[in-house]
Amino acid sequence: MLQRRIDELRTEVRRAAVDRDRARVRALRAELRTTEQAWEESLARLDEEQPASGSATTSHAPASMPSAGDGAAAVVDGAAAARGGGSLLPLREQVHQALTLLAAPAAPKLVSAVHEAFFTGLIPSVRLTSLRRDEERSFRSAPFARPYYVCAALTAELLAPARGVLAVSTWPLDRRVIGPLSPRVNYLSAAIRVAESYLRIPGPGPAAQRLLWRLAANIPGASGGARNMDPARVARAAQAELQIHAAGDLAARTAAAARARRQLDDPEQLFGSRLQLTRQAAAGSE
Amino acid sequence: MNDIDAQLGRIRGDVPPLAHNARSIAALTSNPGCARRAIMDAAGIDKPRLASYIGFPAPFGQSQFAITRGNAFEAQVKANGCAELLRLLREQLGLPIPEVSYDDLEEVGGQRSQLVRHTRTRSLLTRAVRAGGDAGTLFDHPLLRLEVGGRPVYLEPDLIAFQLGGRFHVVEIKSFAVIDGQADGDKVAAAAIQSAVYVLAMRDLLAELGTGPEAVADEVVLVCPENFSNRPVATLLDVRKQLTVLRRQLSRLARIDSLVGLQPPGLTFDLELDQAGAPHRAAAELADDVHAVPARYAPECLASCEMCFFCRDEASGLTAALGRAVADDLGAVHSVQMALGLADGTITPADDQAEAAALLREAARLRRECLGATA
Repeated sequence: MLQRRIDELRTEVRRAAVDRDRARVRALRAELRTTEQAWEESLARLDEEQPASGSATTSHAPASMPSAGDGAAAVVDGAAAARGGGSLLPLREQVHQALTLLAAPAAPKLVSAVHEAFFTGLIPSVRLTSLRRDEERSFRSAPFARPYYVCAALTAELLAPARGVLAVSTWPLDRRVIGPLSPRVNYLSAAIRVAESYLRIPGPGPAAQRLLWRLAANIPGASGGARNMDPARVARAAQAELQIHAAGDLAARTAAAARARRQLDDPEQLFGSRLQLTRQAAAGSE
Repeated sequence: MNDIDAQLGRIRGDVPPLAHNARSIAALTSNPGCARRAIMDAAGIDKPRLASYIGFPAPFGQSQFAITRGNAFEAQVKANGCAELLRLLREQLGLPIPEVSYDDLEEVGGQRSQLVRHTRTRSLLTRAVRAGGDAGTLFDHPLLRLEVGGRPVYLEPDLIAFQLGGRFHVVEIKSFAVIDGQADGDKVAAAAIQSAVYVLAMRDLLAELGTGPEAVADEVVLVCPENFSNRPVATLLDVRKQLTVLRRQLSRLARIDSLVGLQPPGLTFDLELDQAGAPHRAAAELADDVHAVPARYAPECLASCEMCFFCRDEASGLTAALGRAVADDLGAVHSVQMALGLADGTITPADDQAEAAALLREAARLRRECLGATA
């Protein structure tokens, strides 16, 4: 409520600044400041009620600021925007939500898009790059202390962490292995899950629509154009292609997962092994 | 060969040779007649540094924005196991639906060392060749190797080699737009020659495995954004001509000894670096040595050679600086001064200049008639 008013005020300040209406700018900025103050206070109250989620506010600064005539207004804008917005959940839980929806290892971009489409707020993908490293550090210092970890997917051949793919530690190992066919299989199953979620939620937003359309565009027979998109049809088409690849992919994944269980210790099963070990692993497997 | 290596080493001075990349190999073909460039490339000289040391720094290299844009587009096309690329290849080249296998070669077991990646590329490609169509379709960022001037050069194509009907195809992803089916000719030409470098490297690798050159297609797949959108579109590009040019140019690099033999014996482009890497050689002396090797400047050099500003300065007052078309028309008339002299009749043309002189005088007459007394 307050936040919406702040957004409105900012827009008006900007408009007034562009029109060079100084008096109006001054009045609006005064009102903006008091509204922000009120918002800060309510946020502080919220923090006191739920101290656990205190550090969790995600922030996303607006990508581009319209070049208002009044430079000071823009500065106030930016500072306020940096404080507000986004979900109150910790980043790892947001990622977990999105990955659970997809039920397959996925790249940060897709995770972020899914979160935007079906949950609240955008996950800045910059922050996702360090997430896996943080999780690994946390696991190594206190193994299995958390119910789940956002971890790496393993490449089938070398059991090394796959580049730029995130997974969840509670998934069975063979789901977290990436074989040569797996990127496609994961893509198709992600499309199916997104289509199903799209049907489930009431009134899917434009972000969900865009995501489904983007996924459907690359599946043969799935896309009926941007206007008349049918989630059921997307799921059917994805399922049809999935059937072609599934058997081969599953065989490769199961074999690699079995090998990983034999050869890797716990942290490595979650976060992959680096080269010295993989040389032996590769030699052992071939 | 040792002899020529020693000579090139002396020309380069006490620094390791600069490694080529696909761009610099492609640039070799743009001005084949330039001895200065040929020798510098063969010796692996750090041209940008040399040029700025002698006072002609080239504002060179790709713009950061272009690189970012290129990477973003490439990431988009390759996202989610090359989902967009698969659609393009299926729609436009009839890639069968089951062919979706994808191998990431940008990193091997968390390692990015060139040797490891090249070894892995080799082993995967070997397997793909031996097993036929079933073992691998897309290879992301393979690391290839090509002999250039007797030295191996690692090439990291920003591309994927994929197998279709038992033949490897090279895919080049570029971020310039194809608008209404038309793209910038210069950029397409540059992309074609770069892809040709990859085709050549790929054929080399397969030849080592005992497979003939026909296993790599002459046609490369060029993927560009369509119109003003970010939607990729694929086109087939025939690079047979570029392959011929490249092969000729590379063999010329290998025969650089004849060219080096023509240069003055004491020639060196050594910057005389000290322990800290600071150059100590007198810039003027170095510039004299660079002048000693003949260049063939043309305005096109500005787009591809780091020495361009130096050569342009050297060529000022010469007809070559006005572009190849003008230089060709003027034939044996090499300097602008002489051209003006011939035009107003103050210089008597030599036998081989007679034709050009007649044209120049005719042009001068027309100019006088048009502009009247003001000319």
